Amino acid sequence: MRPSTLARLAVAGGRTDVLRMAFTAVSSALAAVVLLSAAAVVAVPELGDPDEGSNAWNQQYGSQLITDPGLRPGVVATLLLLAVPVLFLAGQSIRFGSPARDRRLAAMRLAGATPGQAVLVAAGETAAAALLGSVLGTGAFLVLRLLLDVRSEFGLLLLPTDVLPSPLAFALVLLLVPLLAGLIGAFLLRRVIITPLGVVRRTRSKPPRLWPGVLIIIGVFAPFVIRPLGRLVVRAGNRIGADLSVAAGFALVLLAVVGVIVGTGWLSYTAGRLLHRFGRRPATLLAGRQLMADPWNGSRTLSALLAALVVGAGVLGYRAYMITQFAATDEANRLGGGNAGFGGTTDFYLNSAALAGLAVVAGLIVAAAGIMVALGEGIVSRRRTYAALVAAGVPRRVLGESIAWQTLAPVVPAILAALTVGLSLLRGTGTEVTAGGGGSCAGTEAQCADPNSPYWQMDPVVTMQVPVPFGDLLALGGAAFVLMTLVVGVGLFFLRRSTDLDELRTV
Amino acid sequence: MSTSHVLLGLLSAGPQHGYELKRAHDERLPRAKPLAYGQVYATLGRLERDGLVEQSGQDQEGGPERTSYALTDAGRDKLAEWLAAVEPPAQYVASDLFAKVIVSLLASGASAATDYLIAQRAAHTTRLRELTAVKTSGDSSAGDVVAADYAIAHLDADLTWLQTTLLRVADLHREVNA
Amino acid sequence: MNALLTGTGLHRSYGPTPALRGIDIEIGEGEIVAVTGPSGCGKSTLLHCLAGILKVDAGEVRFRDQDIGLWSESARSRLRRTEFGVLFQFGQLVPELTAAENVALPLLLAGSGRREARKSATLWLGRFGVGDLADQLPGRMSGGEQQRCAVARALVTEPKVLFADEPTGALDVLTGEQVLTEIVHVAREQGTSVVLVTHEPKIAAYADREIALRDGVLDPTGLGLGIGS
Repeated sequence: MRPSTLARLAVAGGRTDVLRMAFTAVSSALAAVVLLSAAAVVAVPELGDPDEGSNAWNQQYGSQLITDPGLRPGVVATLLLLAVPVLFLAGQSIRFGSPARDRRLAAMRLAGATPGQAVLVAAGETAAAALLGSVLGTGAFLVLRLLLDVRSEFGLLLLPTDVLPSPLAFALVLLLVPLLAGLIGAFLLRRVIITPLGVVRRTRSKPPRLWPGVLIIIGVFAPFVIRPLGRLVVRAGNRIGADLSVAAGFALVLLAVVGVIVGTGWLSYTAGRLLHRFGRRPATLLAGRQLMADPWNGSRTLSALLAALVVGAGVLGYRAYMITQFAATDEANRLGGGNAGFGGTTDFYLNSAALAGLAVVAGLIVAAAGIMVALGEGIVSRRRTYAALVAAGVPRRVLGESIAWQTLAPVVPAILAALTVGLSLLRGTGTEVTAGGGGSCAGTEAQCADPNSPYWQMDPVVTMQVPVPFGDLLALGGAAFVLMTLVVGVGLFFLRRSTDLDELRTV
Repeated sequence: MSTSHVLLGLLSAGPQHGYELKRAHDERLPRAKPLAYGQVYATLGRLERDGLVEQSGQDQEGGPERTSYALTDAGRDKLAEWLAAVEPPAQYVASDLFAKVIVSLLASGASAATDYLIAQRAAHTTRLRELTAVKTSGDSSAGDVVAADYAIAHLDADLTWLQTTLLRVADLHREVNA
Repeated sequence: MNALLTGTGLHRSYGPTPALRGIDIEIGEGEIVAVTGPSGCGKSTLLHCLAGILKVDAGEVRFRDQDIGLWSESARSRLRRTEFGVLFQFGQLVPELTAAENVALPLLLAGSGRREARKSATLWLGRFGVGDLADQLPGRMSGGEQQRCAVARALVTEPKVLFADEPTGALDVLTGEQVLTEIVHVAREQGTSVVLVTHEPKIAAYADREIALRDGVLDPTGLGLGIGS
């Protein structure tokens, strides 16, 4: 196949595929913006050896992350890492099969295209849309550069808007984004078989193994059992045993994290079985059976969502820990008459927690978009059945309900498990903080030799319990739930298009 | 199809006399044209002359004298030979329907031919429906159903041919008048 | 004649392409009517319009003397799952549900209890000779077995009208005939009307009456000539 033929076939979809094209283009544009931002940070001039300390700092920027040459590589790496899931999202949209696209690819096979050529055409479509996206993204980057070129009251730049990424970087982004999106797309098509008679999606039908489920259940409950157990052992005077039990609890929680992330198939399958067993409505029957038949659909992206939640819960736990720590220290200082608090440094810690939280939210959104793609793909591939059911008088409402059950039933327990496990991960290290203690001696060395002498001033010890950040956890879990509800909403949109009666007329 | 071969086949079950052969024929081949007694006896006579069957006994129970016939070895060979021979697939078309449609197109013009074909199609469809009713009525025997299937397949072929012919004639008509 | 279902002056287009151009049709109670014609003649569209799956552009479809074109989509949905049964060539069973669950689905939608629905479903599967497949998934059945399940599902609500669009199109000749024979038996027994869309004269012969279409209009000759020719 000549490149020109490929180019022609890749844009053959035209107007029928607006949705997938837009999805690919927007994700690619986002990836391009992120990559160009990384390039901009790279373009910040190096003033010398980072080891020279603040002499090598680019003082014109407001944020230490950009001024400090030692921190800049970390920022670049983070941005590059962030671009990966976004690029995956762009590539993943290749699986957003639409009936029209499926028929077009099948027709190409029927006309004599090899399976490889059909995949190439599909990947070409993605690459074309991604090229459009990377061009738009570059434009957006240039506009954002101008818009964000603001200085603080001290004349410091918010972002490195005074430097332009190298032309080479621009060229790389413009070319790499479509290329990578196309490659990822082709890779993700490996479970999709384009036959001359239609597009078939291979599903893993093996029922999932039990062990991730066992890990999840043990991990969720472990902290509640192990900590009191440890305390009991401490009271019995056995320090090592207590440490051991805490370590064991921590290990179990770690295993539970693994369980949550690997066990999405099991979660879906179990949710399906429970729905099927206890559901009384036709919608729960449909949803339950479908979850049992294909528990792996979208499981990888659900894993990503859960991983984001685990990290998110951990960040929230860390934040609660830090806040309590600061409060305890302040309290200790107040009692001790000292005035040294954490002052500005608390902001640094809390800001970094906020930044991590932002990354978690970005991860959640990208993962939810991935689940949406998987759901949309599933609905489109089942369109004939749906159309026949609607024709037979099954209300679209019932089908929509089943899609909602099918999406949310595994997600709700998964969210709860992920949050619990994520929080346990942090709280396993301790649920109370202490500050203060220690003391200072105002007397001579001889006077101070006796710790009980009046010259010693002992700081009071403040111990505080770290509260469980229920409000924040609720907000995080709620946000994940709302995202999934949005995903269901998009799924319903697909359903409406897929129950078109024309589906009954064509094979 | 030859009656003599069918009679040889029926005799392979054991010696029978003419009346029994006629009844067996009509029963085993429903919807075939029934055999006349005269034809049975004439055929048996010919078979006997050729040494393919032989008289195997007489019985006279309260009626006219009846002669039973049995297969000879030569008859058995003849039957086996016939059964093994492949029938030439529709070597000649010999059907009143076919002849009439062709002649009607030649002689009476497209419009009259069309009228005839419409009437013919209606008759075929009615017959097709009757035969299908035999199949769906619960009390038909397997033999009835198989025989109905055979007749339906042929009527169906006729109908398809009728329809195609009409469309061809219509096309020809359009071309000529264009 | 006391017609159960009538269509009068039915018109329907797909975009600029007309599929039905003024069709009058009457289906009597318990009557089996075949709709025939070459592909693209509008016979499937006619079936979809009569079954209330599609709305007509002009004309009216009356069921028991009510104009169902005036009904809302959900009212027509209810009509389809209570009074009508629909049967297509293939692909109508939910692949993840067992045969019994597939057949029970319309009953569950109508509000039946699970046990009760399953009981009727098994009964109907048995009637069509696939009772022992009640717990099988459609993917593990042959085409004929699947179609028998689909017939059971279409008839489980004991509908007044069964709409069958090329119901034997995907089956071999013998299986197709068996399925059709079973449909005719049940329809006769229950007084169900059947609208049978097919392009084969042999299949149409299962009906009491045949209506031929060509280019979206009735073709009284049945020869594919249309009225004007």
